[in-house]
Amino acid sequence: MARVLVGSVDEIQEGTPVFVHSGAMEIAVFRLGDEFRAYRNRCPHQQGPVCHGTITGTRVASASSGWKSEWVREGCVLLCRWHAMEFDLETGERIRGRGERLRSFPVSVTDDQVFVDVASRSPNARRRAATPLP
Amino acid sequence: MATKVLGPEDLVIVDCDVHVHDPPEALAPFADMPWRRSMEHLGGVKQRYLDIPGYSTSLNIDPPFPNDGPNARHVMTATQMRDELDAMDIDIAVLFPDHLLRMAVFPQTDYAAALGRAYNAWLADMWVSRERGLYGAVLAVPQDPEDAADQIRKYGVMEEFVGVYLPVAGVRPLWGERMYDPIYEAAAEMGMPVMLHSVGLIHPNFPFNVDHMTSRLTRHPIQHEFALMANLFSMIGSGLPVRFPGLDIVFTEGGISWVPYVMWRLDKEFAETPAEAPMLERPPSSYIKEMYFCTQPIEEPDRPSDLATMIDLFDGRDHVLFASDWPHHDFDHPRAVMRVPFEAEVKRKIMGETALRLFGISLPVPTA
Repeated sequence: MARVLVGSVDEIQEGTPVFVHSGAMEIAVFRLGDEFRAYRNRCPHQQGPVCHGTITGTRVASASSGWKSEWVREGCVLLCRWHAMEFDLETGERIRGRGERLRSFPVSVTDDQVFVDVASRSPNARRRAATPLP
Repeated sequence: MATKVLGPEDLVIVDCDVHVHDPPEALAPFADMPWRRSMEHLGGVKQRYLDIPGYSTSLNIDPPFPNDGPNARHVMTATQMRDELDAMDIDIAVLFPDHLLRMAVFPQTDYAAALGRAYNAWLADMWVSRERGLYGAVLAVPQDPEDAADQIRKYGVMEEFVGVYLPVAGVRPLWGERMYDPIYEAAAEMGMPVMLHSVGLIHPNFPFNVDHMTSRLTRHPIQHEFALMANLFSMIGSGLPVRFPGLDIVFTEGGISWVPYVMWRLDKEFAETPAEAPMLERPPSSYIKEMYFCTQPIEEPDRPSDLATMIDLFDGRDHVLFASDWPHHDFDHPRAVMRVPFEAEVKRKIMGETALRLFGISLPVPTA
């Protein structure tokens, strides 16, 4: 495993991911309270730059709410900027999806420095980076 | 030796549906008076996403949330379009408007015709370019078929105009009616396919009377696929393919999975009541198989092979055209279509070769 330095703990703020690279692969590190998550910046839908999307919440409705719409998971939902597909920032799973999930990487903290542990040779690292579309 | 997987960069990609942003103030200099004054005035009115009263009226009735689609992208210039298409390895594109997707609803014939003339002139002056691989579709206003026919003949002589855009959203009567024959006569005369394109709209005209439906999730497919189906029914019912046998008809922004249903349903109906369509010489499906269907929004079944099966159900390998719908919120990247497990020869057709032939665009593609 290769460790990629992201920055100090204080440099990674909630709501603003920090991007690092491992070869051609771009990885975003998100802060969720005192924890961190690292995901590849590539949407499993159409390979868009998902980690440049909006961090928001989502609406749900259930029997417990009388089937009325509720706003939940504020700050824990990543919205892909290409097609607005929703991912749970805690797990990387698509919300109400078909099992899609963001590719995640272990994050470790040593002496207040945050590292992403990246496989030394990612099977996808030779592919092109996400297309830089708006 | 491993064979390289065919990628977007390996073939010529023709995108049959991209959108230029057409704010009223941009078109105003190309418009006749008195309509120019209205468009200049609208240019100073605060605008929401593709929603301008009197110019692009959507009757948007939902409260906005960030998750509803925050991707309000606009392409403002030909240079921007070229750069963004390059990022997707798209070589050639056919341009459609943004706001004027909704222009069929205007009750004032003279205003509609003026908008059509202004858009076509603006497109010719500011956007189309062989060097950039940007081609136009002449906007044919349904409110004034004779004026639309003049526009088709005027711009059809330019090699940068390769099709005729038929606005679908809110159109009444539907596009099969004989009042539109001047448009079809001009398109056939100029050898240009007609291209139907819809958009989200709430309006009394079927099938846009969806004000009682409670979400975009449920309205949006009706405003697109159902609208295309209704117009295809209308065209078959009026015998349009028989009356204009050389006219190519293209359906955009409806995906492809509805085509087998329409084909089989009309055949079933025709078997029972052929006298209802006395001009048809063959079952409806045989005409539908000669039409063209754009991929976007490409369906995404669990098994991509199901899409290949679906296309084969209407013998569509030579009649399906790639479209991205860039820059709209539900655009498809070329690789979303290229993952349909066809052999390379079929992928080359769908992604570009069929469109090159249909539009009469010759290669090599000049570079800017």
